[in-house]
Amino acid sequence: MNISAEPRKRRSYRSSRIIQSIIIHAILLLFVFIALFPIYLMFNAALKTSAELFQSFLSLPKDPQWQNFSFILNEQGYKGALYNSMILSTSSMILTTIISVLAGYGFAVYRFVGKQWLFLLVLTGLMVSETSVLIPVYQLLQDLGLLNTYAGMILPQAALGLTFGVFLMTTFFKDIPRALIDAAVVDGGSDLQVLRYVIMPLARPAIMSLALIEFMWAWNSFFFPLVIATKQWLMPMSVRIIDFMGRFTFKYDMIATTTVILFTPILILYLITQRSFHRGITFGALKD
Amino acid sequence: MPRFNIRPYIFIAPALIYLAIWIFYPILNAFVLSFFDSPTGRSRDYFWVGLGNYTKLLQDDLFLKSLYHNIIWVLLSIAIPVVLGLLLAVVLSGRGRTRLVYASIYFIPQTVAAVCAAIVWRWIYDPSIGPLNHMLEAIGLTGRPWLADESIVLIAVNMIGSWSYYGFCVLIFMAGLQNISPELYDAAKIDGAGAIQRFLYVTIPLLRNAITFVLVYTIIGSMKFFDLIFVATNGGPNEASTVVGLRIYWHSMREGRFNYAATMSTILTVVILVLSVVVIRQIVTEEGD
Repeated sequence: MNISAEPRKRRSYRSSRIIQSIIIHAILLLFVFIALFPIYLMFNAALKTSAELFQSFLSLPKDPQWQNFSFILNEQGYKGALYNSMILSTSSMILTTIISVLAGYGFAVYRFVGKQWLFLLVLTGLMVSETSVLIPVYQLLQDLGLLNTYAGMILPQAALGLTFGVFLMTTFFKDIPRALIDAAVVDGGSDLQVLRYVIMPLARPAIMSLALIEFMWAWNSFFFPLVIATKQWLMPMSVRIIDFMGRFTFKYDMIATTTVILFTPILILYLITQRSFHRGITFGALKD
Repeated sequence: MPRFNIRPYIFIAPALIYLAIWIFYPILNAFVLSFFDSPTGRSRDYFWVGLGNYTKLLQDDLFLKSLYHNIIWVLLSIAIPVVLGLLLAVVLSGRGRTRLVYASIYFIPQTVAAVCAAIVWRWIYDPSIGPLNHMLEAIGLTGRPWLADESIVLIAVNMIGSWSYYGFCVLIFMAGLQNISPELYDAAKIDGAGAIQRFLYVTIPLLRNAITFVLVYTIIGSMKFFDLIFVATNGGPNEASTVVGLRIYWHSMREGRFNYAATMSTILTVVILVLSVVVIRQIVTEEGD
């Protein structure tokens, strides 16, 4: 009896495993679809004419309207906005990364009076939002004559990512074996030499992660630029898009084209460097 | 105690000075501004009003409504993307390299600027020409004017936020699960624990750090968000989706009532601080049990 019952039991066990696996894959794929479908719609809409888009949003464009892009960038003058986005993101990325690396070195390598408190003070910056500091920042920029300047846009933006940067660099640098640093110090290495020849080579992936994430944040940023850059020549892409929506209310093909222009550089960057992004983002969650 | 050494301070000074100028001073300044008013919005015209701005705020229905919407937003963001992210991460944790592919794809919406997401979803939600209603009608359901209906607008906009956020949660939880050794699951299995019991008694407690991080991050993000709602609805219809960030922007940049807006900023900062501390303490206390 036992002998005949066993295989049947195993078979039903196996088939339930198969059903379970099918359901799990279906769910996983459903969320792939949810993630990508709006993005597909966005690219698709950007390459269609309004009329074709109105007929069907799903089908691939019959005759891709690549000229939509040159229309927006050249004729509508959005090339300048793209350039402004580039200036804003690159500058605030460089600024945040350098200051974070220096502070990370100070916090990770040294023991000093007030270290815990100062680190905690830096961390409280995580809880601060643009909306919480808007008015004083705005007035400060006004007093300094920095409203509607690149500097005015870049300086507060870099501050928003700084807390994350200091935290990430400190936790990463702490993982570097102490012996390597001590050896360099014994050999007469100065702080900057230790940083340059011991820390930097080992922490290059972490610094890379930080730079990428800061770049993405600044590129996608909206609130500060909206308030600080009110002159069209200075607006980054994210802000110029809004102005575009007002003028082309139902021209969804054109509106979609602007979103594709804003999104594509980040998408490419992310696809090339995913692991770097992931490392930077997950590190904070696990170490605290 | 080591001999006093100036060098670490030199290294951390740029960060501290930078944060002092752009974060800490503004926070304190907003607090100071909240006790003054100014007919012109200029600092030389300030006069002391004590708690006047605060009492006005407590009677400001629109502000209370916006704060309420922020709280709803926190709850929705925990109920949908965070829970979803946790479940997907648990499902994915069992598989080899494919889990990285899935996680990478789920994360893509997070790289879309909130402004872009809002614009694209405005079109998707469009009642007459938007894809969503077309698809619903194709399967025999009736569409709705998602962003123009007061009763559902907040949920509809939150779906945009959830869309971009669940991949982030998957990534964090997946990384957290990697640190749990498989032997613990095997031990639980041998003890006769089912899948749900293993989830509740092995996974959740060991994911404590990741869960704390995600909850605090979600609360902060939900209290301060602006871009998405500004572009998607600008608080409408009939202020049914207004949030504190929008009120601050409106009162300061449109009406020039900087002190009143600064009072809202101060309350926002305090609420974020209190909620974060409550969550952190709650979870840390449980750890002690």
